[in-house]
Amino acid sequence: MDLSRRQLLAAGSLSLAGVALGAPGAGAQAPKRGGTLSLRLWDPPHFDLHAPGGLSYKLHIALTFTHSRLLKPKAGPSVHPGTFPLEPDLAESWTQPNERTYVFKLRRGVKWHPKPPVNGRELVADDVVYTVNRFMTTKGNANAFMLESLARVEATDKYTVKFTLKEPFAWFLDTLANPMALAIVARECVEKFGDLKQPEAVVGTGPWMLDAYRPNQGLTYVRHPGYFVAGLPYIDRVEATVDEDNASRISSFLAGKYDIGWENPGTINRTDWVQIKDKVKRPVRTAEFPSNVMSHISMRADEKPFSDVRVRQAMSLAIDRKGLIEATAEGVGVMNPPVPAALRDWTIPMEQLGEGARWYRYDPAEARKLLAAAGYASGFPGSVCFTTYGSTVLVDSMQLVQKYLKDVGIDAKIDQKEYGAYVSSCFYGNFSSMAFGPQTPFLEPDTFLYGQYYPNHPRNQSHINDPQVADMLVRQRRTADPVKRRAVIYDIQRYLATKQYYVQMPSGVYVGVWDAALKNYGPNIGYDYGGRLTAAWLDR
Amino acid sequence: MVFALPRLLPGDAVQLMLEEKAYARDLDELRAKLGLDRPLHVQYVEWAARAVRGDLGKSLWTRRPVLEEIGRRLPITLELALLALALAIFIALPVGILAAVRQDSVGDLVARSLAIFGLSIPAFWLATLLIVLPAIWWNWRPSADFVPFGADPLGNLRHMLLPAVVLGIAAAAALMRLARGMLLEVLRQDYVRTAWAKGMSERAIVLKHALRNGVIPVVTLLGTQLPQIIGGTVVIETIFGLPGMSRFLFDAINQRDYPVIQGVNLIVVSTVVLVNLAVDALYAVLDPRIRY
Amino acid sequence: MSRPGGGWARALARFARRKPLGALGAVIVVAMLVMAAFAERIAPYGYDESLRGARMTAPSAAHWLGTDNLSRDIWSRVVYGARVSITVGFLTVALAMLLATAIGVTTAYFGGVWDLVVQRVVDAWLSFPYLIIILSLMAVLGPGLGNVVVALAVLIAATNSRVIRGATLGVVEHAYIEAARAIGCSHARIIVRHVLPNVAATIIILATIALGAVILAESALSFLGFGVPPPHPSWGGMLAGSGRTYMFRAPWMAIWPGVAISLAVFGFNMLGDALRDVLDPRLRGS
Repeated sequence: MDLSRRQLLAAGSLSLAGVALGAPGAGAQAPKRGGTLSLRLWDPPHFDLHAPGGLSYKLHIALTFTHSRLLKPKAGPSVHPGTFPLEPDLAESWTQPNERTYVFKLRRGVKWHPKPPVNGRELVADDVVYTVNRFMTTKGNANAFMLESLARVEATDKYTVKFTLKEPFAWFLDTLANPMALAIVARECVEKFGDLKQPEAVVGTGPWMLDAYRPNQGLTYVRHPGYFVAGLPYIDRVEATVDEDNASRISSFLAGKYDIGWENPGTINRTDWVQIKDKVKRPVRTAEFPSNVMSHISMRADEKPFSDVRVRQAMSLAIDRKGLIEATAEGVGVMNPPVPAALRDWTIPMEQLGEGARWYRYDPAEARKLLAAAGYASGFPGSVCFTTYGSTVLVDSMQLVQKYLKDVGIDAKIDQKEYGAYVSSCFYGNFSSMAFGPQTPFLEPDTFLYGQYYPNHPRNQSHINDPQVADMLVRQRRTADPVKRRAVIYDIQRYLATKQYYVQMPSGVYVGVWDAALKNYGPNIGYDYGGRLTAAWLDR
Repeated sequence: MVFALPRLLPGDAVQLMLEEKAYARDLDELRAKLGLDRPLHVQYVEWAARAVRGDLGKSLWTRRPVLEEIGRRLPITLELALLALALAIFIALPVGILAAVRQDSVGDLVARSLAIFGLSIPAFWLATLLIVLPAIWWNWRPSADFVPFGADPLGNLRHMLLPAVVLGIAAAAALMRLARGMLLEVLRQDYVRTAWAKGMSERAIVLKHALRNGVIPVVTLLGTQLPQIIGGTVVIETIFGLPGMSRFLFDAINQRDYPVIQGVNLIVVSTVVLVNLAVDALYAVLDPRIRY
Repeated sequence: MSRPGGGWARALARFARRKPLGALGAVIVVAMLVMAAFAERIAPYGYDESLRGARMTAPSAAHWLGTDNLSRDIWSRVVYGARVSITVGFLTVALAMLLATAIGVTTAYFGGVWDLVVQRVVDAWLSFPYLIIILSLMAVLGPGLGNVVVALAVLIAATNSRVIRGATLGVVEHAYIEAARAIGCSHARIIVRHVLPNVAATIIILATIALGAVILAESALSFLGFGVPPPHPSWGGMLAGSGRTYMFRAPWMAIWPGVAISLAVFGFNMLGDALRDVLDPRLRGS
């Protein structure tokens, strides 16, 4: 079990080494300007990052091409997927005078897109202040919780922005760099259009400008000539296609229509990849890295039978995680402790998990013993709330999980719901027995842990009220030093492993795929498509 | 019904908009903002009053006017439907006539088997094979990018052809069976026997009586199939990436976008009523026996 | 056509000679029924039984139709799938026909305001796109075998009630109905003793053809994510789900459920057509 994970990580770095080996040659080439990059994107419900329904990837990814943030995760072939070293975007530099204060110096001469009503004026500190306030005060901004620690923001001069927090929040910089949170928007657009929902209101300071939006079909971006990094971006045009069917996507990729893999984040599902890789006639490059999409079984830990820790441990022992990887991920996957293995800097290696590691084994006999000790010698009935998300892999996983549970005497009926019904009930812990499904794939551990385990948090699906966890969760938020913070996060995971409030499933390993003509590109998890392509160029 | 049906759906737009991150307070605020917090009958009266004036409201999600969106999508679905029907008629009528004239012959058996075979393949599967196999064999993808008819008529037709074929095959099968059945009945009528007895050629009999009678089922089919084609091509529109009405409706149902669901329903139902009126009128022209 | 007793065999033989396609359809339908009824005896494995070391193996002597990505025997799943399809099909059609007959016969028999009102409701129902009716119903009821049945039945009932109403109108005109009325028979008695037997053929034919349509509809629903949920192995689910996902590497995962669907639809339609030709020539155009 531990072995497979280590092997995998070894395999992952091997293929990365392959990429890196190729890089010096590529690096010797001078980057070329021009060309059109084509890829598959999703149809944004609208274009207002702060308005309700500006949900997750569909909109966030689309706006990474057009908007800038104060900071961004570094991109390129040298960055290890799963790590997110921060670098300046609109900020030139920043300081942290005390635990609760951050001061950013902005770059000078940053120009908005030359589009009405902003018409290419310079970006100033007031723009940042305006955006942050709009982010926090727009009714129904689903991501507002990301900045809940912020007390106020002010412009101390034309190029300086000061953030003051209510309490120390060690993840503040990471949050600012996240495409979900703080892309800087222009006040003029909001004033002219009322909100930012129309495509005409997409005016940013990012490397590309939105040139055309065709509902249900696609988006076209063109190079922003006044982008604040001279010479960038190299790619003139980005053609994004909305493509809602997998057979259609396979067909388009094989026909050379997509330059990078069609699944988020620029990958191809391994199930598809193993089937089509021999049929791809053009040269492509690949890199493998674990997915941060993690499914789990959540359960009413506040009620019988799940309030008994032995029952939860038994459920974890009942799951054949290796079997799941074999059956649904083509045999290539990673074991997840409470923080997904994909977040390399924060997930605890299985061999350091200590006592709790034993619950990640597959041991149905032991599971039955534990159930008997808890007074359920003949098992118990239950139900699992579930929705398919349109994924056959998820449906297959659900069937296997049901079978594994049945093998130890837990007779779980699948209560399948339509997505809308699921999100409005089970996703918020509104179910009577168990639920099964993937969780929103964040890039730092705090959003995973805090949301799932802090008492009364809406995403605390298992109804956990454990003061010891709550205390550690607050503590890591107050620990500025990354090394010390990691120690706390490791401690949390060790503790949680023994409690098994959620039974975590393994994740697949992504296959990042891109056309060999696309140079200086490195895949990573996260929605920052635009950031990863800004310095990339096309050799054709 | 247009109004009430969508409101029965569990969960609501607000919860979906906040997706997986909502706090309870936000939900109520947002409902109030979208006007979804008022009693249903108040919302209904308001909606109906505006609908009468031709204002179908705005999408809860995109804030774009529903009527405008329908205006953009309806032509695409109608074009698809008309192409498919034309194709179906083109295949079905000759085959149907032939099968009826040579009832129970080998040709009849083959034609009918083919027709039912055409009916028996799920459309999504046929569509999948049609776009995936060429890509596998020749790294070539048919019908890749939809362009509006106005912008590039030829490119548009090239893209619409394959989806129309997939849709047309099932329609052709249904139509062929219908045409055959109708004709068999016609051929047994007394006036046809009289024509035989008078020594008219088979060709003349079939053309004279078959054509007129063959068109009637087509017209019937048009009347009964139209709502289904407008609302039922979601599979085709999904696989071929067509921005039509079905996909619009499907997404709206999934997102609980009530104004869109109501608007699409209203338009479809009114279109159907109009088409049915037209069909009835056509009947009277085609078949003098029918009088209103 | 067939008289009770020894005439059965001869009638069947004649049916097979005159309607070879219909007979073929009948054979297919009977085969499906047998598979559904005796699935436990016919299928060598359980439908959810994972077989160690047999992931996506090609068809062989051990596994006639191969195995799927969860190492399950596809032949067994196709056999159990017949049970799901037959269950969904028959329940749907039975429910639909019950509704359709009740509506069709009573509206035609009683006429008047009742007819007018009910027919307008049916009109309204029919002018809605199937999609919204089915998806709305599925969203309200939630996915599930029983709910697929209800959603499809409600639709089929509306369409077929029209045809049954037409057939009943033809019967009601006859002199013997008037005679029955004249001698003071109750409405219930007339409907049960005189009307129903005369429209029975119509109902049987419509039902046979509807069965094929239900199987297809279930597969389309599966594609849209509203089909019979796992672990029940429906053919549509097998084809639209993992069958389509693994279509290159393990084409047998898609081919066999696909063949089963096509055969079933073919069988029901051919049988229905032949029954129509034999039992009720008037219905050809419907």
